[in-house]
Amino acid sequence: MSGRFQGILDTITRVRGVRGAMIVACNDGLVVADSLMEGVRGNAVAALASSLIKHAANATAASGAGAPQFLHLQGSRGALLAVSGRSEILIVAVAEPSVNVGLVRLELIRAAEAVN
Amino acid sequence: MTRTYAVDPWVEKPLATFVDEAGARLALLMTPAGQVIAQHGFTRAVDVMAAAALGAGIVASTGEVAKLLDEPLFSVLNHQGERHGILLGGFDTPRGRMVCLAVYGPESSPGIVQLFFEEFSRDVRDACPAPEAPKQVLAADFERELNESLSALFRT
Amino acid sequence: MADDVKRMTAELVRDPSSLVFLRLGEVLRADGQVEAARKVALTGLERHPDLVDAHDLYARILVDADDVEHARRVWNGVLQLDPRHQGAHMGVGFLHYSRGDLDAALDHLELALAADPTNKSVVQALHAVRDVAESVVSEEPEDAFAGFEGQDRGILLVDRQGRALNGNVLGTEGRDTKDEVAAHLAGVTQEMERTARMLNLGEWKWLIVEADNGNAHLTPPDAASLLWVVRDRDMPSGRLALLADRAGAAARTWLEAQHL
Repeated sequence: MSGRFQGILDTITRVRGVRGAMIVACNDGLVVADSLMEGVRGNAVAALASSLIKHAANATAASGAGAPQFLHLQGSRGALLAVSGRSEILIVAVAEPSVNVGLVRLELIRAAEAVN
Repeated sequence: MTRTYAVDPWVEKPLATFVDEAGARLALLMTPAGQVIAQHGFTRAVDVMAAAALGAGIVASTGEVAKLLDEPLFSVLNHQGERHGILLGGFDTPRGRMVCLAVYGPESSPGIVQLFFEEFSRDVRDACPAPEAPKQVLAADFERELNESLSALFRT
Repeated sequence: MADDVKRMTAELVRDPSSLVFLRLGEVLRADGQVEAARKVALTGLERHPDLVDAHDLYARILVDADDVEHARRVWNGVLQLDPRHQGAHMGVGFLHYSRGDLDAALDHLELALAADPTNKSVVQALHAVRDVAESVVSEEPEDAFAGFEGQDRGILLVDRQGRALNGNVLGTEGRDTKDEVAAHLAGVTQEMERTARMLNLGEWKWLIVEADNGNAHLTPPDAASLLWVVRDRDMPSGRLALLADRAGAAARTWLEAQHL
């Protein structure tokens, strides 16, 4: 992975409770770059996050809300957060359930801007 | 109706799960020589045979490219078109190497198909019984076996 | 059309196993040539007994021939083999509608829409049957979210099969889109469940989506339903979550009343 992407992802993984961050090609659901703790399946995160945001986009578009910019799936044992960037990329983070969502969201948005 | 059919019953469940999870419209499991083991979504034997022959051809060609590059065999090949994508992936099992050809639409993605292909290859490896003892193949046996395989694949 | 029929017939003669019989049967049916369409469908079914689309075509031909009971049996058989088959749900919905059983017709049309939310003919059929159903209901169903801030913008309770239960959502230009949204939410939920399972996130609790023109919040008020709350971007996600909590409590009260 290039040093530039590594630096961008490191700012996200430095947030306490974040177990991994990645840049994903949204249409393909494939990993562009990642920084993951052991046990986090990068290819699964990329494929599932992009598929989930596509499904959510159908619901928000039909609800007159337009295209998703930020998505947060909260589970009892963890959370998945994603921000849409330009050029069909997603910045995705996998985190502990008690993570500071506001801070991760900010870092994801900054990362998306930096990648753009 | 689109149903999953297999020559060997132990393949049916893993293939049906793969098709369901990956959102594949068509799927074919075969040997690298193009002998079909299971199929989903095809309604005509002629289409299965053509797809198997073309898939086997691609596997053979990429295998030769890998040799030229001094690489191990490529495991997955993914092409994405405007309306359909195809995945062609190989994996080893106790009964030798198998190849999966899957066709998917825009409701799926290369990432999703690849992810569940990995699960599928693991499920097939786990479900695969030990290899049978090799037997002599006579021309008449070959024809009979081919007909039996086609019957199983289309429940004719 | 005659040229089309000739061309497809020739193709079928050349390759009797061709699936072109599906289009040929449909074209003949649409032209009122019911007997010819029936022959084409039956010949195709002999070659492709497992092809549910062929059974679906045959059932529609049977309806044209006024053999409604036979059509019902064929469609029920299709749904046993493929419970999400859109054509069969539309067909069974139509039969219920013809009999005046509007609730059952709506159930099947909503399942048809869930199978493909982009099919405009299903949306139109659903709206038409819903209009009829609303005109014959003397008492409006109780609004579970009456009095909620901005309730008309979007508070929608749906079941896990993608059918609207209560509330409403307005799409662009103020169009009522609750049926489309309900169908999409079933897909979103299946994807969330799969994601949570495969990434070891545990049981999913909620989904927040901040979009270009609005924010949305999805929660499960109980094991069988989903609640979708949409507001404009000026309502922050945190406040939207509080609103969704209150709406969830109202939804549970309404659901419990339905079970009594």
